[in-house]
Amino acid sequence: MPKFFLFLILLAAVAIFPLLFPSPYLIHIATLIFIWAFITTAWSYMGRFGLVSLGHGAFLGLGAYTSGLLFNFYGLSPWIGMLLGGLIAVVFAIIIGYACFRFGVIGDYFALLTLALGEVVALGIIAFRDITGGSLGFTLKSMGTSLLYFQSEQKIHFFYISLGFLIVAMLVWVWIDRSKMQKALRAIGEDEIAASTLGVGIIRYKMIITMISAFMTAIGAVLYAQYITYLNPHTLSGVPPSLEIAFKAILGGMFSLWGPAIGTALTVSLEEYFRVAYGSTFVGFSQIIYGLALVLLIIFLPKGIYGSLHDFFSRKKSR
Amino acid sequence: MTELILNAIANGILLGGVLALLAFGLNLIFGVVKIIHLAYGQCIMLGMYVIYTMVDRVGIPLIPACLITLPITGIIGLLLQWAVINPLLKAKANPLTQLLALAGLTIVIENVAQLIWGADLRGVKVQLPLINIGSLFLRTSSLIAFFGALLTLFGLYLFLNRTYLGLAIRCTAQNVDSAKLMGVNPQAIYFVTMAAGGILTGIIAAFFSPIYAVHPHFGGSFTMMAFIIVVLGGMGNLLGGFIGAFIIGVVTSVSAVLTSTEIADIIALVIFIAVILVRPQGLMGLKVSR
Repeated sequence: MPKFFLFLILLAAVAIFPLLFPSPYLIHIATLIFIWAFITTAWSYMGRFGLVSLGHGAFLGLGAYTSGLLFNFYGLSPWIGMLLGGLIAVVFAIIIGYACFRFGVIGDYFALLTLALGEVVALGIIAFRDITGGSLGFTLKSMGTSLLYFQSEQKIHFFYISLGFLIVAMLVWVWIDRSKMQKALRAIGEDEIAASTLGVGIIRYKMIITMISAFMTAIGAVLYAQYITYLNPHTLSGVPPSLEIAFKAILGGMFSLWGPAIGTALTVSLEEYFRVAYGSTFVGFSQIIYGLALVLLIIFLPKGIYGSLHDFFSRKKSR
Repeated sequence: MTELILNAIANGILLGGVLALLAFGLNLIFGVVKIIHLAYGQCIMLGMYVIYTMVDRVGIPLIPACLITLPITGIIGLLLQWAVINPLLKAKANPLTQLLALAGLTIVIENVAQLIWGADLRGVKVQLPLINIGSLFLRTSSLIAFFGALLTLFGLYLFLNRTYLGLAIRCTAQNVDSAKLMGVNPQAIYFVTMAAGGILTGIIAAFFSPIYAVHPHFGGSFTMMAFIIVVLGGMGNLLGGFIGAFIIGVVTSVSAVLTSTEIADIIALVIFIAVILVRPQGLMGLKVSR
């Protein structure tokens, strides 16, 4: 069980981090990393089995806007809104997923189709601007610090909450890894026809993993919205956020448990570093480096940073 | 209301001409290099920025500026082939990996543009009269773009069907191995195709410049539009792309008048999704190839 102890030590180190460095800025960055790592991990549930979705922005938008609008208009607690948002994302995933898997849309066609879906949700949010605030977005009503309404003026609360969420996402990953579903989905990802001749229910397994991924992504979006208390279609749906989720996971390595989290940590800190170090003169510079790194990685290290390092060391060990 | 719709149809047809050119470029690259060029709209955007810089900063008149842009965008196409697409083809990457790499490229191009030209709208100032035929009101710049696009398409048709180079390109598109046996070097053809695709982005940029102001996220919407058309007509099918462009041009333009531009885009995207689901070979395609 050395792996498990290593994990506990890491967890303890992260948990006492805000006590050692009580800087609101660092805590803010760490919280953002946890939230996005939660979302990218949820994305990787699908991505690792070859279901590369470039439209997870759709689930982000559906989740965050469902919860946010219900709270602002009817005062519904975001905890319930979170579940409702997740359910709406699941319903959306069922409709789209069934259509895709029934007609056998896979690989690059699946990626293109989902890319369009993310954009449809973003345009939908903008089109109903009377309710959603359109491109300008809207702010959540402030409730001060309230557990019932999932709001807090203390950054530290969200630090621990989002850390907890991230751990749950990783536990779900481990659960998937140990389930029968993982074997079935891996077989499907490698060769769909071969898997179906062996009696693997392709549509069923793909649907289950898509629903889990959609639900978790929508929940992550609500978490983000509650932390930032501002919703905008350009940060919570559409093409750029959808691509960013996928790319963070790919950068770290979507085939391993730690990959998405590490990819997120790297990109978020890189972005912050450039923002702090160079200010507004180099807006987008971190994005350029990140994009270039991504293109090079995809070409030369398709397993991502963590995945490749992991392979490298385990190969050394086995020699 | 009928006048409004008639106007929308006329403008949709005019837009369709330029969209046909856009789809042609994507189809050509997909047909020959077998790669989904997700950064095509971003390349057009770069062309528009080059034109803007020459007109607004250097002070060159619009038409020579457009002419100088063509070789520049051609070189951008060659660079892309050399730096991104060739390594991808050499690594024998699957289509999904290629798509992701090019999606990463869109981020790079958009942010390079933002770094150089900033996030503001940049437009070339041209005053052209509005043409009035009966109850139709047409922009001269749109008319120029429409006829220019048709002329370019005709030129490309001649190039592909009347020259040896065009024959080699069509041959490579049909079957790479046979092309090799006939003494065609596919690598050279890939470079020629990407250069031609690049020059095409320059031409499209030249037609777009008097119509639209450019900003770093300008390319994305047109890439999406081009994909909708290409998939509707059938990937790699040049005639299908041509017809699809006019269908999408008219549908989006009419639905934008009846509802809003967002709803119009949603309709186009839903058409795209439906086509991928139900008829992946497109309107004109014959065999299923997914």
